[in-house]
This record gives sequence, C-alpha cells and structure tokens, in this order.
Amino acid sequence: MTEPAPARGIDPRAPRFGAWITSVLLLVATFLGLTGIAAQSASFGWFAYQPLADATFTGSSWALPAASPGQRILDPAFLLTLVVALLFLWGVVSPTTHPWSTLFRRVVRPRLAPPTELEDPRPPRFAQGVGLFVVTLGLVLQLVGVPLAVPIATAAAFVAAFLNAAFGFCLGCQLYLLLQRAGVLGRGTRAA
Amino acid sequence: MLRHIGLVRSIRTYRGHMPLPSALIALAALVAIAVIAGLLWRARDGRRRAGADAIDLTDLGVTSGRISLVQFSTETCARCPQVRRMLQGVAAAHTGVDHVDVDLTHRPDLARRHRVLSTPTTFLIGTDDTLIARFIGAPRRSDIESTLAELPALQEAS
Repeated sequence: MTEPAPARGIDPRAPRFGAWITSVLLLVATFLGLTGIAAQSASFGWFAYQPLADATFTGSSWALPAASPGQRILDPAFLLTLVVALLFLWGVVSPTTHPWSTLFRRVVRPRLAPPTELEDPRPPRFAQGVGLFVVTLGLVLQLVGVPLAVPIATAAAFVAAFLNAAFGFCLGCQLYLLLQRAGVLGRGTRAA
Repeated sequence: MLRHIGLVRSIRTYRGHMPLPSALIALAALVAIAVIAGLLWRARDGRRRAGADAIDLTDLGVTSGRISLVQFSTETCARCPQVRRMLQGVAAAHTGVDHVDVDLTHRPDLARRHRVLSTPTTFLIGTDDTLIARFIGAPRRSDIESTLAELPALQEAS
C-alpha cells in the first residue's frame, strides 16, 4: 500500500520559489488581460476603425468575437500567457531543467542551508500539469473569440500558484482525489 | 495590416479598454481574495472532525483491537510525507498505537467508501474498531496527542 520511494528527491523549497515567479507572471498576465482586447468593449475602440472587418458580426458588447485571429494572438496578455503555458509544459516534461529550478539551484540554494529532507518530485509536477491545463483552456477560448477567457484563466492559476508560494497549498493534495472521483484519472487496480 | 494599425490606434486611444484604475482595483481584489482564502484554509487545515461510529476496515491494514492512525495519501500529495513522519513519531511514542499509510492513488474504491476528498486525511480508529476522529489536512501533533489522551484504552496501556 505504501508508495515506492522516489528515485531522486527534490529540495522542497525549489517548487515554492518557482511558484513565486509564476504568481508574478500570472498577475502581470491578468493585468494585461484586463486592459487588453479580452476585456475590451466593442462600442468604441478599434471596432469603429474597421467597418469592413467581420462586418457581419453584430450583437456582442465585446470586441474579441469580431477580432481577427491575428489580433487575438498578438494581444500582449495572450503572448505572456502562452509563455507561462510553455513554462508549465516544461515543468511537466522536464522539471529538473526548468528555468526556475535551474535558477534556484545556481543562485538561491547556495545561499541557504542544505535541505533537511528531500521531497517527491511528483506533486509539483502534477500542479504544473493542472496549471498547463487551465492556462491552455484560456488561450484556446481566446482563440475562438471568447471574451475574458485569458484573464479568468490566469487569475485562477494565479490564486493556486500564490497559495502554493505563500501558504504551502498543494494542488495535488486537494485535486487528485476529486479528479479521480470524477473518473478523469487514477482508476487502475480496483480490488473488492 | 490595416487591422493592426486599427489595433495599435485603439490601444493608444484606450477607447473601449478597461480603465487603468479599474484594472488595478480588480488586481488588488484578486490578491486580497487569494490572501483571505489562504488564511481561511490555514485556519481550517488539519482540524479535528467528528468521527462516525461504524467503519469498514477492509483493505485498510488495521490490526483489530489496537488504536490506529490511518493516513490516506496519494503520489501527488506534497504534504503527506511530513505528516507520515509526524504520525510515525506519535505511533513510536505510544505503545498500542499503530500508524498505517493507505495510498489511494490507484484505489478510487477506498477513497469513495471512506469519502476521502483530499489528502492528507487521517482517521483515528479505536480499539473497538470505531472511527473516533478524522483530521482533514495536515494535523498538529498536539491535536493528535490530545485526542489519544482522551481514549481510556490508551490510559490503561500507558
């Protein structure tokens, strides 16, 4: 019943350090999202400058549904969120080479006392996967023209990353069994 | 190209965009909500909850007639190892108390049967095989110790 010991442990302070950087990036992305095209109303602004662009579209109070794919992608919030998504992907695929992990090893850890114990690398990896899912959902929804999708996704991811950094909140602790109950993961051997 | 010029112009003129003060207030509210959520979570975390008399001990690895601290964990639970070390320390300090670790990663049946929704969750099982208390989150060692101290079986044993 006990889990197998991880082949190699990680310094438990490394994921929290990374979570601080991720929180700041997500907060900036949320700010850019709120002031950018995702939250822009259609009554003013560029819509008025482009009577020919998607002229058949009417009825929405938001600018995004009428924006071109290029405008949806070149939105600063979209681009920063894309960078965050790629960093989450990096954290899932190769946590040990992740930039924040490397920064922690090279710059932060030499200034700290050695860790009292090493931790399992699987929980932070799971959290990175959840973050990747949430911000990717926001990006995809903005691509298909859903207003506010990116700032809502980055705000949700910010809350999780901030709670992890500041309070030691752990997504894998809170979410895994809920996702398992919903049948998303962890079915496996079912005795009895 | 024309579209891009229009986009740039609209950003410069700021028409239709959320005003800067509103965006900053929304950000401040977001941070405040996160801090309050964190404080509430920390205050509730690991508190003792009421037990339920009957419990199906199948597959939990509990020795009948002994006091057991049954800890539910998963592979994605970052806080479980520290709780495991603490509970092992409690079990080592009291004769008649066992620590049992149950990995729910591949056991949705056990998670459902015992209504475990998050990890770490710890059940305190009495010598009469009843569920005395539940601790959802990382319990404080003092809370575990004080709950154990209330048990007549342990008082006789020690």
